Amino acid sequence: MTPESVHRAASPVTGPRGGRVPFVLLGLGAVILLAGVALLVRDSGGGEGAAGADAPSAQARGRLGQGGAGGSSGGGGQQAEALPPRFDGTLCWKDLERFNEGVTVGNFRQWAAPLLASGDPVVRDYLRERLTELIGNDAAHATEVLGWARDAGPREFNVIMSALRASEAVHQPQVAARLLEQGVSGDLDGARRAGILSALDTQKRLDAESLGRLADFAKEPASGEAGWAATRTIARVMKRDFNEKGNLAPYLDKLLTIGTESPDEDIRYLALSMPMHATPVLDEDASARYAKVLTSEGSPDGREAAAHNLSVSGGDKARTLELFSQSFATEQEVCVRWALFRFAARVAGRDALPVMANMAVVDARFQPLYHVFERIYASGTLDFVRVWNSLPEQDPFGCLDRHH
Amino acid sequence: MSRPSSLTARVLGLLALCSFLPMPSLAASDPAPSLQAETCSVEGLMDGIRRGLGSKSEAYRKYLRTLLRESAVTLPDAELRAAFERETDPVMLEHLAAALVARTERGADPEAMGVVARRILGERDASLRVASLRALRRTSGTENTGDLYERLVRDASPEVREAAATNLIEDNLHVYSGHHGPAADRAVAAAAASSDPKVTARILDSVSTEHISAESADRIKSLLRSDDASVRAAAVNALGGVPSEQMAGARETLLAMYRDEPDTGVRKMLLQSIAQLGFAGAIPDLQRLRNVDPALAPEVDAWTRVLGMGLQEWSLILREKQRSRQAP
Repeated sequence: MTPESVHRAASPVTGPRGGRVPFVLLGLGAVILLAGVALLVRDSGGGEGAAGADAPSAQARGRLGQGGAGGSSGGGGQQAEALPPRFDGTLCWKDLERFNEGVTVGNFRQWAAPLLASGDPVVRDYLRERLTELIGNDAAHATEVLGWARDAGPREFNVIMSALRASEAVHQPQVAARLLEQGVSGDLDGARRAGILSALDTQKRLDAESLGRLADFAKEPASGEAGWAATRTIARVMKRDFNEKGNLAPYLDKLLTIGTESPDEDIRYLALSMPMHATPVLDEDASARYAKVLTSEGSPDGREAAAHNLSVSGGDKARTLELFSQSFATEQEVCVRWALFRFAARVAGRDALPVMANMAVVDARFQPLYHVFERIYASGTLDFVRVWNSLPEQDPFGCLDRHH
Repeated sequence: MSRPSSLTARVLGLLALCSFLPMPSLAASDPAPSLQAETCSVEGLMDGIRRGLGSKSEAYRKYLRTLLRESAVTLPDAELRAAFERETDPVMLEHLAAALVARTERGADPEAMGVVARRILGERDASLRVASLRALRRTSGTENTGDLYERLVRDASPEVREAAATNLIEDNLHVYSGHHGPAADRAVAAAAASSDPKVTARILDSVSTEHISAESADRIKSLLRSDDASVRAAAVNALGGVPSEQMAGARETLLAMYRDEPDTGVRKMLLQSIAQLGFAGAIPDLQRLRNVDPALAPEVDAWTRVLGMGLQEWSLILREKQRSRQAP
């Protein structure tokens, strides 16, 4: 009965394509989890682990996105002070108690229609959660509700899919199989298929066959918005499974395949970047594949993502530093150079300083940054998250703007 | 469901007319509620909540709570306060307190949170103190209620002390993301002030000390001499995460403590915090401690191996350590 936080964050089922995972998070690893990505964190259920990185999105207070660190957060509850706040009134619904008592899967669509049409966000959240309760663990209910997705308007569609996604029944094999089937089939438009595939992202794991089908679909040239959602679903289930001590390798393999084979740059980028949220320690094989991306991927975003993921690997640090050093020299994009520079510190900490000094010789714009890192390491700071939070400027080259 | 009426119709031989006849059983079960939106009132909202408490639907109960809180900023202040002041049911009180707190959190009324804090301090019923405290959770309450928490961690009721600890922990983690020194300092002060070892240990185990002051670090160090092993372990844990300027001092203190520490759990935590304060650089320190307690040699070896991976983030090091422990 704890009252929920005062600050709420919307959590649409279908993330806007191109709206992407906020790239600002590229700054670092652990704290990305904090920084939010409301969608990623929100429904993860169990904790993220001992590091306490599982902040519910709602309290992340917006500015965490800035540089992905939230280093300077605080000031709880303080709003902009210049203008007196203005508040929208709320709506109280006469007869809602009777709605609540009498609503069933059978009459939900008819009864809920006027509530949905009102645009009242509080009652919309209620409808979503009530429908989840009505579905329960009943596969037949889930299937019936899924059937509505075909002709539902946008508001209703979001409620339906969010409710299904959060339901117990979505974990029943036949329900999950049906979602997958409808999501990858060509019957529905792209936005609906994207919503349906997104509703699979609460699965505890994906078996080899489902994973294969999602990945094959995602990398098809025409998969579009739905392919983007399929990719994100793979990555989210990967993170959940991994956090429950599962094996990340099969998922990562598929994401790397999508990330190198999809002709769609947005999907490639998503596939390459999403693993950073799980922060796996890369094995030799994954390291080698990301290393190849770093030297061959056409999109600068994809190369940045590769550098990010490579910065946490179990292999030979000297070899990774050498790779970063060489890539820096041939790289033309300053934002990718900045990624290689800061992630060198994440590879080897203070031991990376000589490599970073060389980078600053290659590109003099990095001289002042080098001195900042040198000073932070001299202070005794070890943890890269703290190093990152100590930076006076986390976006010295204006790279974040590109991603909004 | 239509069976009784069609049966009646057949019996009466009036099939053709039956669609014009009233069919009570259908009419009673199925008409859609006449949902109409109206402006919310304090009385209406409270009535709804009171009636809704018995609902089996958690979604509906949550809706009512949310609606009251969302409405709080536009409800008449005096009415809301009066309802709060006279309420004696813990559940209702929690909702009303949450509404008042929301008024402050949203900048509508800086005083409203103080009303809740004053009631907590003056309230004689522990369950009502707990209820109001719950409404302050995950808000700016830690920094906007003066010395409330330092007093509540010494409350006569263990439930109140526990609830106060929970608020301090959750405010630090969820409102400030562990990055606000003053909020962490308040939590440390409350931990040190508490008369309850469980509360002290829980706060120190859960609050990030990344931005604490030197004074707070000293307070934590003084708790290393506690008679209670869980308090010592938590203080050790907290010292592992201090700001860089205090790391060297913390490391010396913890290394010196290891030999004479009688408790295995505390010793394990000492190894962990020494690892946190030095990363791969802590390996020689840990090796020197390896023979002090042969039972913990495997633990030292596990740390040595994980630190040897050269990871540069503590959360990742800790994760790998935990994964390695659970591996078959």
